[in-house]
Amino acid sequence: MTEIIMEARDVVHQYPDGTRALNNITLSLEKGKKIAFLGPNGAGKSTLFLHFNGILKPARGKIIFRGREIRYDHSSLTELRKNVGIVFQDPEIQLFSASVYQEISFGPLNMGLSREEVRRRVDRAMEITGVTGLKNKATHYLSYGQKKRVSIADILAMNPQVIIFDEPTSGLDPKLTGQIMELFDGFSREGKTVILSTHDVNAAYSWADHVIVIKDGSVAGEGEPEDIFQDDGLLAAADLDKPWLVDVYRQLRSRGLVAEGCGVPRTREKLFGLIRNI
Amino acid sequence: MFQIDYYAYSNRMVSIHPAEKFLFSFITMLICLAINSYAVSLAVILLMTGAVVLRAGIPWGLYLKLMALPAAFLLVGVAAIALSVSFSGQAAGTFWGFSLAGVSVGVSAGGLALAGKIFLKSLAAACCLYFLALTTPMVDIISLLRKIKAPSLFMELMGLVYRFIFVMAETAEKIYTSQSSRLGYVNLNRGYHSLGQLVSNLFVKSYHRSKMLFIALTSRCYNGEITVLERNYSLSPGNIAVILLLDTGLVLFGIWEKWGGPAA
Repeated sequence: MTEIIMEARDVVHQYPDGTRALNNITLSLEKGKKIAFLGPNGAGKSTLFLHFNGILKPARGKIIFRGREIRYDHSSLTELRKNVGIVFQDPEIQLFSASVYQEISFGPLNMGLSREEVRRRVDRAMEITGVTGLKNKATHYLSYGQKKRVSIADILAMNPQVIIFDEPTSGLDPKLTGQIMELFDGFSREGKTVILSTHDVNAAYSWADHVIVIKDGSVAGEGEPEDIFQDDGLLAAADLDKPWLVDVYRQLRSRGLVAEGCGVPRTREKLFGLIRNI
Repeated sequence: MFQIDYYAYSNRMVSIHPAEKFLFSFITMLICLAINSYAVSLAVILLMTGAVVLRAGIPWGLYLKLMALPAAFLLVGVAAIALSVSFSGQAAGTFWGFSLAGVSVGVSAGGLALAGKIFLKSLAAACCLYFLALTTPMVDIISLLRKIKAPSLFMELMGLVYRFIFVMAETAEKIYTSQSSRLGYVNLNRGYHSLGQLVSNLFVKSYHRSKMLFIALTSRCYNGEITVLERNYSLSPGNIAVILLLDTGLVLFGIWEKWGGPAA
């Protein structure tokens, strides 16, 4: 039983100079899935995300959230933004307060919750993202990784059903990237729909349930990661590399070392399992 | 300035209720300004220096460097008060002076005393403000002002300006580094040129950033007013007692020294 939580239908977004950032894009996102958006810089991923949150209004077409077309009056937008949160790529832009605690409390307070409830949520969001120790620190004395975590806690405290991460792992070292991806798995287990954009094909391949490739403002391809990352034509068209797991698997297959039908491994462990069986 | 900010967050008095520190600083300053005597000013300087260096743990070196700043300005300022100028020969009561073309410039005992008094009083007031600045993070000061019903628009602006001073300083530093790595400051002429570009670039970047900030705030249901939860501090009766004791002592000392003391 699948339920569609977010849809875009023939959405067009035009820059003032006439170029189309989104060009009749149509897609639907399933509730509770882990969805990765891939595609070159300037393909329109960030622009699309801003539409999901009602920041941008499509020039043509419509955005549908939980079966209802988004309306752009104040109360409808507030309702939408309570349910769809965006973590921006650059935490420096998102963090407006010099105090970590005040920063995280901003979103839930805007939702009209009681102060006690906001305190509970802020504490919980800080615990999950591992920034409780930074509670009384000044934002400007945090490291980049810490700022990134605070920017995630910002949105988590609002407890949205859909969380969108715009290139969450850019500029992070591998260890932090791993920790952040684990956090996202946790959100997904809670039943949230987790959407992210990334250039890291390996992370997307292992992590995502569903992959959407965006190119020139429309969907170039979408499907399960195993299918998308074996579609050589699509990968070439969108300038994407193949995940190393797929490369190795292909080599093994071409040498006839693994049996047909065992499927492409999604994790390092599964691949090693295949190799052990050779 | 960044050093003051750094210590405001990392001194040993940071967990004390900001209102207590605010009261201590301001009541002490008021007493010092109201009583206006050498002894009280000196006492305030000693008291505040003790509080900043011994209690809050601010390094001596930094504190003295910070104090040198107002002291230098004050010295120049009070010099004018100490000197008395007269156009009719030697002014009365001067113990040192010279005349030049009918104008005599001299230092009188009274002028010197007045200058000294003003110097000490102003320095003591500066100490009180340094105490607040070095022990209380800006965020707490803004929270406090908000609690005493300062207009929220100003408080929001103050908060944003404070946050983005650091973002801007960092951006400026990055631009400067990238310019110098390409010989942007190789000589004075190029230096001026690069500096101009740095400033204009900074302006464009800040403008872009403010637009992005607005988008990010809007996505979190921003509705025209920035509301945040303040940190909970608890008032300590012990601290309040100490503040009252010290300041009462200061007032009594001032009264005794001015009206009942041996010097009177």
